[in-house]
Amino acid sequence: MEYKTTLTTCTYCGCGCNFYLETLDGKLTNTIPCKTSPVNEGKLCIKGWNVHQFVQNDRRLKKPLLRKGGELVEVEWEEALAYTADRLKAVTAEKGGDAVGFLASAKVTNEENYLLQKFARAAIGTNNVDHCARL
Amino acid sequence: MIETIKQHVAGLLTEKKIAGFLGLIEKNGHVAPHLFKDGESLAGFTLGDRKTAGDARYPLNKTLVTLSRAYPEETFGVLVRGCDERGLYGLFRLNQLTEDRVIPVGFSCPAELSEACECRKPYPDSLVAGEKTESSQLKKVAEMDGKDLARRFDFWTAQFVKCVKCYGCRDVCPMCFCKECSLECEDLVAKGDLPVEVPVFHLTRAMHMADRCVDCGLCDEACPSDIPLRLLYKKTAQIMDTDYGFTSGLNKNERSPLSQMGPAK
Amino acid sequence: MTNGVAELENTDTIFIIGSNTATAHPLVATRIFRALEKGAKLVVADPRKNQIAEFADLYLQHKPGSDVTLLNGMMKVILDQGLQDQAFIDANTEEFDGFKALIDGVDLDACAAATGLTVDGIEQAAALYAKAGTASIVYCMGITQHTNGVDNVKSLANLSMVTGNIGRESTGVNPLRGQNNVQGACDMGGLPNVLTGYQPVTLGAASKKFADAWGVDELPTQIGLTIPEMLSGIEEEKVHALWVMGENPVVSDPDADHVVKALEKVDLLIVQDIFLTPTARLADVVLPGCSFAEKDGTFVNTERRITRVRKAVEPVGESKADWEIIRDVSNAFGFEMAYDSPEEIFTEIAELTPSYGGVSYGRLEGDGIQWPCPTPEHPGTPFLHKDGRFTRGKGLFHAIEYKGPAEVVDAEYPLWMTTGRVYAHYHTGTMTRNSVALDREIPEGFLEIHPEDAAAIGVCDGHRVRLASRRGEIETRVSITERVEKGVVFMPFHFEEANVNKLTNPSFDPIAKIPELKVCAVAVEKI
Ligand code: SF4
Ligand code: SF4
Ligand code: SF4
Repeated sequence: MEYKTTLTTCTYCGCGCNFYLETLDGKLTNTIPCKTSPVNEGKLCIKGWNVHQFVQNDRRLKKPLLRKGGELVEVEWEEALAYTADRLKAVTAEKGGDAVGFLASAKVTNEENYLLQKFARAAIGTNNVDHCARL
Repeated sequence: MIETIKQHVAGLLTEKKIAGFLGLIEKNGHVAPHLFKDGESLAGFTLGDRKTAGDARYPLNKTLVTLSRAYPEETFGVLVRGCDERGLYGLFRLNQLTEDRVIPVGFSCPAELSEACECRKPYPDSLVAGEKTESSQLKKVAEMDGKDLARRFDFWTAQFVKCVKCYGCRDVCPMCFCKECSLECEDLVAKGDLPVEVPVFHLTRAMHMADRCVDCGLCDEACPSDIPLRLLYKKTAQIMDTDYGFTSGLNKNERSPLSQMGPAK
Repeated sequence: MTNGVAELENTDTIFIIGSNTATAHPLVATRIFRALEKGAKLVVADPRKNQIAEFADLYLQHKPGSDVTLLNGMMKVILDQGLQDQAFIDANTEEFDGFKALIDGVDLDACAAATGLTVDGIEQAAALYAKAGTASIVYCMGITQHTNGVDNVKSLANLSMVTGNIGRESTGVNPLRGQNNVQGACDMGGLPNVLTGYQPVTLGAASKKFADAWGVDELPTQIGLTIPEMLSGIEEEKVHALWVMGENPVVSDPDADHVVKALEKVDLLIVQDIFLTPTARLADVVLPGCSFAEKDGTFVNTERRITRVRKAVEPVGESKADWEIIRDVSNAFGFEMAYDSPEEIFTEIAELTPSYGGVSYGRLEGDGIQWPCPTPEHPGTPFLHKDGRFTRGKGLFHAIEYKGPAEVVDAEYPLWMTTGRVYAHYHTGTMTRNSVALDREIPEGFLEIHPEDAAAIGVCDGHRVRLASRRGEIETRVSITERVEKGVVFMPFHFEEANVNKLTNPSFDPIAKIPELKVCAVAVEKI
């Protein structure tokens, strides 16, 4: 029996509400707004209250997919990583770093956005980094 | 007060009378619901008073229902105030919890909180710590009743139209557990974009809470639009009391007049 | 936002323009409701009468795309009636004279005609805003998603400066960020022109600092491409590979058919996401990332508050945290990254980013921190531009002339269409439409249309219609309502099967490169 509450920040809108994700034996069971958060003071909108529902949804991607013979098929991580890195190497070697573009995301963490732009700028050598702030 | 409760809970845990104690813990600079499983882990235990008394209360009974469904053979301890214990009595009555699988650990609320809540029963029967404080009068309901119908109507319409349809009042409520909720029934409440259908949405919920609401006020605190839901449900409860002599969870084993056939008492 | 969300509670006049606040930012609406309870005045300007407009003391239903005209009209009234804060203007701003010259030339009757409002309405709005002790402006995508989006924003800045409503508590110009971590993505250098903390890529010193820290000889100093430029770069065969992390441009970007063509054409499309989105379906390789509940990290909200994201459950299947995926690809590529946790990455960010310099995971326990926070002792910054101290020294007035939207209605496409959100869904619906409760709430897209327009094409509530623009067509169901004016239709953009972005106009603002999602011309017919 493992019951846990984890304090975190909403992944939907820019209000940035804080809530507890409730888990029982590794399964998300509920979302409870944090009463003492200065942002949302124990309140949430409908999206926040139901945020635990999409996480363990059956339709989630569980393995990397690679296009083979026109179809996306499941592959092991090793193959997907090697493919991605090799193709990126080929494009940069042939056409230069500015032939690669990166879409960062308003949905992932700061740390992840940081890493993506670091990879773009330092490894690939391009400033072609943008995200949909404008949308 | 808190030390007495800790000792009591540590006793229950070491004697293996309970599989776990559902209470509150201080973590990440906030107060969180927590399942304590052994005596030593009680270090961060808190009663949920942060800046003011009772400002960090959580629907522990709701979690208790989830836990009991997953572990029906286990007995759990749970931290209760007066309203929470009334909730437990209601949940026993409505077959959502089994009485002999729950050990309430109660403490009383201070007079200031009792007054702010206009609480009928600011102390639980299973009092482990604190004194029995006085119950308070329903001043706000009387005040509202003093206004004429047109002004009351305007007041409530202006409040309801603020609703952002978060369903938080239902989702936080320890007494809401239906698998199919009438608020989501399209024949009752119209679907579609905001604003919500006024006053059907809020009155449907008020009706459904008539013999359940234990006046914990958690819905009121969860409402992003500051709609005074507790006042609405207090009024409903008052009607239940004067017309049927029934108050949800006030006494153990009392049955709801709404689920009995025959003339009212 | 220049100011904190909670400060709105104590504002005397709140001016909301182009924000469906109660729907898109419900917890900001909370503060607005509280301010109203305390007697604040509310002015709402929006082509669609959204929920928050119900509470307005003054509601202005101006024509889509006529924001600058409305704002210039308000400022004309302010200057004519001497309602400006001249002391503030003299002490803290520049270029007021040029601005004043333009405003002096504004004709109120022409403004009224162009916006579809009355002169009296514009005067009342100006008075409510300018005469308040404290006045806050709240805006959202309704202001920015236009070909003249930057003009709109500058006009709002003008309005706040002309009345001295900036740099004090409960004032300011407050954009509500559409998505949870837009602020963070910008702060982290997820933009073609800046590194973290808005350090320009063109600035040698910044570039050198990052190059040293990252162990490379040099970094590119030329400004990169924006999304629309990357897409056209693909067509022009300048861009050959695209890595899309957690975005769904096929549904979110304007002129969807055109986006699909570009993504089909690009030689290498890498998509990192948690679901097989319409964008991911076009990929050469799909890397399964994991959701916010399955990893550690930080987000930044609309008031610049950095708070923690904490892992609650193990990743689904073999999915991995996005930071792990980037690290692993980078290592396979031959650029070494040796991070073991997001906290290590954050420490590196804080070292390289002055505005984050004093922030650490330890300090984020409790309430989080609002940047700028340069040192470990610094408490963070609830509101910017304190006492008129602007980032660039003095606040700069811009004389902004009205430019109409890029596309206008004509006989073939006679209706203005504008797009937005509904309360139960978020963005492209990738997450919300996979949530049982939210999908049940609003399962499909719809088109809001005025009763007279509906009658003209002979449809009743619930009927299906075909909706066409110069770029494409879609089918959807109509919802008849007076929330929209005659001649204007509204459609939410969360639904891929009725993808409104097949219709929208990709013309974008020349500076911010934001596409004009809020206005285009359409025709509607009964099916
Ligand atoms: S709970 Fe709702 S209001 Fe709060 S951050 Fe999430 S989406 Fe925004
Ligand atoms: S006060 Fe509200 S949350 Fe508490 S029991 Fe009554 S309806 Fe439920
Ligand atoms: S909590 Fe308030 S806003 Fe949310 S559904 Fe209930 S009444 Fe409406």
